[in-house]
This record gives sequence, C-alpha cells and structure tokens, in this order.
Amino acid sequence: MEAVHIYDGFLSTPVWAAMDAAAAPAVGYIVRRAQRGFDDSRVPLLGVMGAFVFAAQMINFPVGVGTSGHLVGGALLACTLGPAAASVVMCAIIAIQALVFQDGGILALGANLVNMALVGVLAGYLPFYLWGETRWRNLAIFSGGALSVMVSAMLALAELLFSGVPMPGSMLGVSLGLFAVSALLEGAITLAVVQALEAIQPGFIRIPAAGRSFARGAVGLAAVLLAAVGFLFASAAPDGIERLGLLTGAAHSRTVIRSPLAGYELSFLQTPWVRKAGAGLAGVGLIYGACLLIGRGVARRRSA
Amino acid sequence: MHHVVLEHWSRGSSPLHRRDPRAKFGALLVFLVVLATAHRSLPLLSVALMALLAGVLVWGRIPLLGALARATVVLPFTLVFAGVCWAAGDPARGLALLLKSYLSALAVLTVVSTTPLPLLLRGLETAGVPRFLLMVAQFLYRYLFVISEEAQHMRVAARSRGGATRDLATQPARFRAAAGALAVLFARSYARAGGIHRAMLARGFLGHFRALGSLDFRGSDAAFLVTASLAPILVRAVIERMA
Repeated sequence: MEAVHIYDGFLSTPVWAAMDAAAAPAVGYIVRRAQRGFDDSRVPLLGVMGAFVFAAQMINFPVGVGTSGHLVGGALLACTLGPAAASVVMCAIIAIQALVFQDGGILALGANLVNMALVGVLAGYLPFYLWGETRWRNLAIFSGGALSVMVSAMLALAELLFSGVPMPGSMLGVSLGLFAVSALLEGAITLAVVQALEAIQPGFIRIPAAGRSFARGAVGLAAVLLAAVGFLFASAAPDGIERLGLLTGAAHSRTVIRSPLAGYELSFLQTPWVRKAGAGLAGVGLIYGACLLIGRGVARRRSA
Repeated sequence: MHHVVLEHWSRGSSPLHRRDPRAKFGALLVFLVVLATAHRSLPLLSVALMALLAGVLVWGRIPLLGALARATVVLPFTLVFAGVCWAAGDPARGLALLLKSYLSALAVLTVVSTTPLPLLLRGLETAGVPRFLLMVAQFLYRYLFVISEEAQHMRVAARSRGGATRDLATQPARFRAAAGALAVLFARSYARAGGIHRAMLARGFLGHFRALGSLDFRGSDAAFLVTASLAPILVRAVIERMA
C-alpha cells in the first residue's frame, strides 16, 4: 500500500500547469515559515528525518495474513517537527523521489507536492493541533495519520479524473475503499510509533503552542475536508458543476476578463499545438517570474 | 540500489556530463512539455523521441539497456490505468498513458544519470528554488543510504530474534514491535542529525554549503540548450506535418 504518486503523462496540461502554479508560491511560503525562528541546526535534522521516512518503508507492519503496510510519515513528522518543517521534509522527499527514483513526474511535481506535502501534512496535523492536549489525544493522532493519507489520495484521484483518465464508478469505489484501508493503517502506525517514541523520550512530541486558536484550526480542518471531498465530487460529476455554473450565471462571466493567454493560445503562431505548447511555456515562465519577484520583494522587505 | 547506480553513472565523463545542469534541466522541461501536450500520431512521435533519447544516452556513455530497464519503474502503476482505459473502451488513451509516462521517466533519468545530484540542486538554486529546501534535499540524499542501512540492520536483528513468524496470534505483538523499531530508528536518526550538525560546526559551517568551483553557463551550454530544446519540437512538427 502506497501513497499515490502521479506520473508525467497522466495529468492534462491545464491540470498540471495549475497545480504547479499553485505549488510554487505555497512551497515558498512554507519554506519561509519553517525557517522562521529556527537556527541552522534544523537543516541537517530535517534532511536526516527525510532519510528516516525513506528508510521507514523497509520496516513492515503486519496486517492480516500475507499483507503488510508501512509508514507514509506526514502526520508523524508533523507531530514531532511541527507542521511547516514537516511540509518541507515531505517536499524534499517528493522532489528526491521524482528526480532520483522516477517515482512521480516532474511536470506533475506540483500536483504531488500539493497532495502529499502541503494539504496532506496539514490534514495530518490539524486534528493533533485541535485535540492534542485533550483526552481525545490518541484519537486525534490516529485520525491525523488516516486523514493525511485519505486527503492526499482523494486529491490525486480528483486530479486524475479532471484530466480525463476514465474511471468507472465501481473502480472509483474500489480504489477509495483501498485508500480508506491504507489510511486507517497509517493512522494505526502513526499512533503506535508516537506511543513508542513517548516511551523512549517524551520530548519528541511537540505539544501545540499555548496560544493556539481553536476556531482557526477547526475552520482549517473543515476547509481541508471540504476541499478534498468537493474536489472529488466535482471531478467525478463535471456536468453537475457546469449546470451549477449555468444556473448561477457564472458560466457567462467567463469572457469578461480576457487574459493574453486565454484558451492557452498565442495568436501569432500558426500550428495549433505550437501555440498551445508555447502558451503553456510562456505561462510557466510568467509564473516563475512572478514567484521570483515576490520572493525578492519579501526578502528585501525583511532585510530592510 | 537504484541511486547507487545512478550516482555511479552521473560521475562519468562525456560531453553531456560537462554541460551546465541548468541547460540540461531547461531542455528536459521543453522535452516534457512537448511530450505532455502531444495528441496526434503519438505512437510514431514516441518512437522518434525514444530514438532521440537513446541517441543522447549513448552520447552520454550511459548503458542504454540499463537505462531503458530502470525507466520501467513507472510501468506497474501505469499498466493498471492503461488496463482500465482499455476496459473502458478507450485503448488509445491507455497507450498514450503508457508511452508518455515511460518516455518522461526515461527523459528525467537521462538528465539525472548525467548530472551529479548536488550539481543539479545547485543549478536549481541559482534558478530560484529556495535554498533551505534544496539543502534539506541534499542532506536527505546524503543520509538516505546511511539510515536505510540502519533500518536494514534492525530488520535483520528482528528476524534473527523470531520477528518474522507468520502466526496470527502474534500479529498485535509484531505490530507493536515494528512500531518500537521505527521509534528507535527515529530517535537514532534524530541523535545522528545532532552529531552531524556539531561536526559541521566544528569544521566551520556557516549555514550554507560552499561549493568548490562555480557553475558558469558558457556558450557551449547555451548552444546545447537551444539544440536540445529545438530537437523534440522539430521532431514533433515534422511528424505532425506528415500525418
């Protein structure tokens, strides 16, 4: 049982481009957040913990006869290193997997980062953030592990469906069932490892800061769950969304703002696919430039 | 292990190894986008792009068959979806998934097997990827082998103490034992990271890696980038004109 890595070739161009565009600034933000308030000793720590998550795949957890699962790790890292640092570690893991092990695509990197490193870790952390200090603590850790895997899997499925990968209802049901099993397993493993860690040295588990806001956490958790479920439903039944758009009149407002890259086409090139590819590249270039500028701006404001 | 072979290949010497990592990565992105946006006459295009990649691999003195075999790691996952597409009455899409994912993996492998990972990451840093993230990735890559070996030792130790019995009654105990092993591995990794950092401080670490030698983007790199980017575009243009 494995977390879902999406390979290049599966996602349609609008989907991977949009996910890359969403991932780039989000990763930049989370890296800054992880760096804030920590000294350089965090760098070796985060790297070695990333290697730990890789190596943890070698230790099998028995489930029933003949089958076994292993740790995915997002929720465990979030409970021990904090959510931002855990996200950075997962980002590094996914990047190394894509580059060195060809596990996950390069164009699909944005989608994989959002699914597993950003939303997945957030979903794994929020229950612990909300109920980490109450008597529901064990349940919170368990559901964190389960949610991190389930939410990542649902987002990945939704992206595949949006890209037009055909998935009959029965297959969708079966894969959701399989993901639910591996999510429960991840929850159980996370909880067992956290308890074993506390037996060794209680200091490993980071209790959320005293000034935490319950409302913000609850809204965040609700948003993550709604996004995953809603995204999946929207992708499984795009007609419904279109009808909704027609009903609310949103479909007609599409032409109000005319972007130069509308419909992914630049007008001055003739062959349609050259136009499409060119527009795609220009879009990626624009996003890259914008991220670079924002990054510079933030850095300058900080040093000023 | 996969990454040990890659490491070995990436330390080779060929004109391709000497190109700037940014030029190679840029060409890789163009190749991937050309492939990802292709729809018409895909089988023919794939054969042509495959020949192109094979040529590049030979030029980079990478064992061709070994590279072709290594890129098949994407196939198990892809075959499942290709089968679903076929069953859903869309065999063309299934074939497209197979061809695109395999060729993309092979293209990434071509670049990674001719560029040492530290150099590639440094190239990405000068292209604007956050340094903190890349440093974490560097450490991760460096200690992957060390921690994996430690996990392997622990697994052998557990087996030799009877940890591999297939008895349903002992399953909960085995589950707890595996959790304990992971917790110990976690604690050891944590302690190791502290030791690594102290050793680095003792050797004058100032918070970032200092590179021996600089990356410079020469004329030959620019020429390579232009040629290697135009090649897949031209191949596709010619094939789609013919079709």
